[in-house]
Amino acid sequence: MATMTKDGDRVSAADARIVPPPPLPQSRPGTRPLWRLFPLINEHPWMFWGGMALTCLGRGLEAGIPLFVRLGVNRIAAHNTALFGPIMGILGLVLARYVTVAFGRKYVRDVGVLVGSRIRERLYWHLEQQGPKFFTRFATGDLMARAINDLNLVRQLVSMGTRTVIVLGFSGFVAFLFMLALSAKLTLWLLPVMPFIAVGGFILSSHIFRQSLRVQEGFSTLSEMVQENLNGIRTIQTHAQEDREIARFAALSSGYADDYFRMTLLNTGLNAWMMALTGIATVIIMGYGGWSVLHGAMSVGTFTAFVLYLALIVAPLQQSGQMVSLFQRGASAAARLFEVLDYEPEIRDTPDAAPLEEVSGAITIQHLTYHYPRRTSGRDQRLSRATTVMAPEDGDGHAALTNVSLAIRPGEMIAILGRVGAGKSTLLRMMVRLLDPPPGTVYLDGRDIRLLPLEQVRSQIAFVPQDPILFADELGHNIAYDNPRRAMAEIRSVVEAADLEDTINSFPDGIRTLVGERGVTLSGGQKQRTSLARGLIRDTPVLLLDDCFSSVDTETEENILGRLKTLRGGRTTVLVSHRVSTARHADRILVLDEGRIREFGTHDELMAHNGTYAMFARVQGRRSEDDMARGVSFPGAGT
Amino acid sequence: MSAAAEVQRPPARLGNAFDDDLYGKSLDTRQILRLLKWMRPYRWQALAALVFVLTSAVCAVLAPTVLSRVLVDEIALKSHGPGLADLGQRTLNGWIAAQLGVAPLYAACVLYLIWILLRAGFTCAFGIALSRVVLNTLRDLRSDLFAHLERLPSSFYDRVAVGRVMTRIANDVETLFELFAGFGQLFGQFVPFFVAISIMLTLSPWLTLELLPILPVAGLFTWIFRRMSRPLYRIVRQSVSRLNENLQENLSGIEIVQLYGRERENYARYSAINRDNMTSLSRAFTIESFYGPLINSLSFIGLCIIVWGGGRLVLHSQITIGSLLLFTQFLDMLFQPIVAMGEQWNVVFRAMASGERILQALDWKAALHEPEHPLPLPDQLSGGVEFRHLTFGYSKDYPILRDVSFTIAPGERIAIVGPTGSGKSSLVRLLCRFYDVAPGQIFLDGVDIMDVRPADIRTRIGVVLQDFHIFSGSVYDNISLGNPSISREAAQRAARLVHADSFIRQLPQGYDTPLNERGRNLSHGQRQLLAFARVLAMNPEVLVLDEATASIDTETELVIQDALRTLTDGRTSIIIAHRLQTIKDAHRVIVLSDGSVREMGTHAELLARGGIYRTLHELQYQKVGEA
Repeated sequence: MATMTKDGDRVSAADARIVPPPPLPQSRPGTRPLWRLFPLINEHPWMFWGGMALTCLGRGLEAGIPLFVRLGVNRIAAHNTALFGPIMGILGLVLARYVTVAFGRKYVRDVGVLVGSRIRERLYWHLEQQGPKFFTRFATGDLMARAINDLNLVRQLVSMGTRTVIVLGFSGFVAFLFMLALSAKLTLWLLPVMPFIAVGGFILSSHIFRQSLRVQEGFSTLSEMVQENLNGIRTIQTHAQEDREIARFAALSSGYADDYFRMTLLNTGLNAWMMALTGIATVIIMGYGGWSVLHGAMSVGTFTAFVLYLALIVAPLQQSGQMVSLFQRGASAAARLFEVLDYEPEIRDTPDAAPLEEVSGAITIQHLTYHYPRRTSGRDQRLSRATTVMAPEDGDGHAALTNVSLAIRPGEMIAILGRVGAGKSTLLRMMVRLLDPPPGTVYLDGRDIRLLPLEQVRSQIAFVPQDPILFADELGHNIAYDNPRRAMAEIRSVVEAADLEDTINSFPDGIRTLVGERGVTLSGGQKQRTSLARGLIRDTPVLLLDDCFSSVDTETEENILGRLKTLRGGRTTVLVSHRVSTARHADRILVLDEGRIREFGTHDELMAHNGTYAMFARVQGRRSEDDMARGVSFPGAGT
Repeated sequence: MSAAAEVQRPPARLGNAFDDDLYGKSLDTRQILRLLKWMRPYRWQALAALVFVLTSAVCAVLAPTVLSRVLVDEIALKSHGPGLADLGQRTLNGWIAAQLGVAPLYAACVLYLIWILLRAGFTCAFGIALSRVVLNTLRDLRSDLFAHLERLPSSFYDRVAVGRVMTRIANDVETLFELFAGFGQLFGQFVPFFVAISIMLTLSPWLTLELLPILPVAGLFTWIFRRMSRPLYRIVRQSVSRLNENLQENLSGIEIVQLYGRERENYARYSAINRDNMTSLSRAFTIESFYGPLINSLSFIGLCIIVWGGGRLVLHSQITIGSLLLFTQFLDMLFQPIVAMGEQWNVVFRAMASGERILQALDWKAALHEPEHPLPLPDQLSGGVEFRHLTFGYSKDYPILRDVSFTIAPGERIAIVGPTGSGKSSLVRLLCRFYDVAPGQIFLDGVDIMDVRPADIRTRIGVVLQDFHIFSGSVYDNISLGNPSISREAAQRAARLVHADSFIRQLPQGYDTPLNERGRNLSHGQRQLLAFARVLAMNPEVLVLDEATASIDTETELVIQDALRTLTDGRTSIIIAHRLQTIKDAHRVIVLSDGSVREMGTHAELLARGGIYRTLHELQYQKVGEA
């Protein structure tokens, strides 16, 4: 019997040293996505605020430059040749500015990189904890789009956006102050322009936010479609549906381009608005300044300095359009990331979860009733795509399992038979909490499985699913997937048990043969056996096999089952199958029908009971028997 | 493990299709030209964009001219020096003043405003035209790329990770947007650059010459910094694509990851790549941070030169103060393209890499032979199939099929049995022309299928694949696969035949129930029934079942078999199965082992012969029959 202590090799020492990324700082519910980035930024206060302070200082120094230019121009106008002073002043300021600005930028950018990679790592960890409901709601293509594009936008926002807004705002402010000092009246003339700038930015920014959300959703949809199509390419080509899919993609791609175009329209419009207002501000200065110079109220030098300051004020205004769109795109990206990050994993440890000291492998199920998913409406109603998805939550759909009760003794081998959709997989999946059973229904060694740490459930119960999914890696690494540091001898022994030896020996690279991309193509049966070996190697007190011999021929299956019995001696095994010849190997056989237990007992008992199982056996056996008889007694019959 | 995997990795079999070095090493003009082909349909809009940007550039130059030459020189300083370049602004200003009856000062303001508003308008028009052109171009490119990938033989995807291909259509095309838009922007800044230089030269060649050396210095700095940051960006791009691959694989195998407790290990690997990415990105950004302000500083040094050199020229009355002011205003226009180029540089290389990957994907030709003069298949297939000396393998040193020959008579029901990996599925894939048939031949109704278009064959042969795919969409969509010629009634009929009708009706919305990606909300057996129904709905002339009932219970299978018996009456059918009761109905059984036909004959004949078939049979019989 494996114990938690002996289990040390599964959560290996190396594994235990891997610290999962800490959760992102919490914000009050309802906080806007943009503001939720702030605590993340504030995790690096010195770098961020220091960087900001340096950049602002740099801008302050930059604002001093026109003062020296004014000095120079005034001297020129006065036919004074002493230009060395002003020039050295400018050069000194330029040098000081360069150093401060460069370091300031570096620190703020680094904060962007840190925040981006923090979110990325947390996102990855978060995705790894999610269950079926989550993956029903978010398709792989969509998640990829978020992890790539939206993450980039957020990083850009932190790296460039925050710096830009504060710095430009600051330099605008500093320039404004300097101008105020030079000529208060002239500066005040500019005030009427400001509200227009604010209003334009305000009105358009919410549109930009919505439109960029639409664009990013559109990108997700594109990714999803490509991802699905390429995965199902064989099916599409078998049915000669390529042209229809291409047309569908073209329509999608067009819609995306149109959405994108609308976003550019908004951005361009905002930019033009800012440019026009900037022009108006300049004209005001020109008119008033020109008038002052004409009336001798202002020197030409001051006027020149004014024009230069104007550039300082104007640049932020002109760029404010771009800033607004950078911010709004970043905000919508952050919203999309937080949408995923806020999704609480549905299957988790309860606070009072405590591990069992020792697992003997007794599974008890009491009055388990589980309902098929009910319709739930999915995400974004903004996009006119099919948004209703099925979510596997307890709903009012019809029951997948009804009042199932059974007790599996430690070391027993149980076979489950039943029609398509009878609830066989659902039952198995609940035993490993791939689906969470209702509280107080599934017990391992007498403890409610929901009160055990997920880690223990999964480490003590191995599950081999129907779909043999392998990773693009060496065969050996696929088999020792649970622990990459397993000894070769362990791998060898399960390879033998899964009857994979001959297959592997036929490959030039043997156990190191790569599967998938750049590797060999395995047949369905070979994949199933590899997937089986991956489950067997874990040597757990409980092993669940979900119809994982369906593509394996009978002879091989017989070999495997024979070895399995010795290998699993004294430990619990539950297997789903459709073959009576497979079920025969089990100690007891469970027949499920429409989610209810129809029959449960040994082969002999069920045969005597003369119910569904006996019928299966008759159908599968009699035919063989008949043919056998015919084949033997009438050689050559049927020619 | 990954380190070991790197070392062990055999040379890529697709040649250089997946060069890991495809991360933008150089600027390849041929590539840009090739990508520009997609822009051709929109050349007139592109031309319009060009006109807009030129006009806006002219306005951008005229506005400061009005300010310096008219306002400062003529109005404020009253210097009417002849031969001063003003691009006719003084004349224009005088005319406006006369027309409006206002002082020249206010006329100058009006003139300035006109230029600024025109500039804003034309810049806006340019932005709109440019983005329309670029978006249309990329839309077409993306659709063409998708069409190309969709039509690639599915064998291509045996060895190519979907994630890699997906990012080419999705992300690489997106990156190109930045390239095109960036080039547009750059262009929009180069025009004022040249206009400004030419005006500066006419104003004061001397001062201009004093200023110009700054440009090569800026260029030199740009070059140095780019050389420093380029390898870093390449590492960043590589790590990003490794991050994406890792994530993609993790997501598609998420259940295995969770079941086998690999969350920590996988996270550690992802995190390690992320650290690489972070370090290089941070270094690249540091270089960036020192580069940007440096170029800005150079423009301030330019300012010094103007004050210093220009000041003396003013003192010697060689230029006016207005000209000096104009120089300072043009300074921005001189440096803007360099700054922009520095900023775009990284984008350009990233985009070059993306462009390269896109073009490469368009060039992927997993050589599936398309006949030059395709032969048509008869309107009515009789369904005779012949395999003649067929040898096949996914790689040369590992043959799956060896010299397979047999004939299927029209209307015959054939069962193929054999151990896993014996080549049964490969036989089916060859018949559907997923691969090229060679050496050897396959004849359908006497026509060598290599002489027929693959698509023609596939519309006539219905295959229930072992690795079928369920798409997101409704149940009905999944049966009809979007084929409008399959009515709802036909779909329901097909579903009834495979006994799927009853479970479909129990779904919340029946045939309209939306299914998830890969049909995750159905059981495996239910999915298989759908895949089965989908083929029957096509009403194919030849029916091929590759373990179509492997995940289906005996009871359902019995019902299906009864249906199949009538359905395949007089219709050629090939059935691959492990369960012998599925095979029993066949007219003939072919036993494949190690890629060769070992036994062939009727069920009874083979039993009598006492070979492999009989052994297989006894195994199943014994276990069940013992009772």
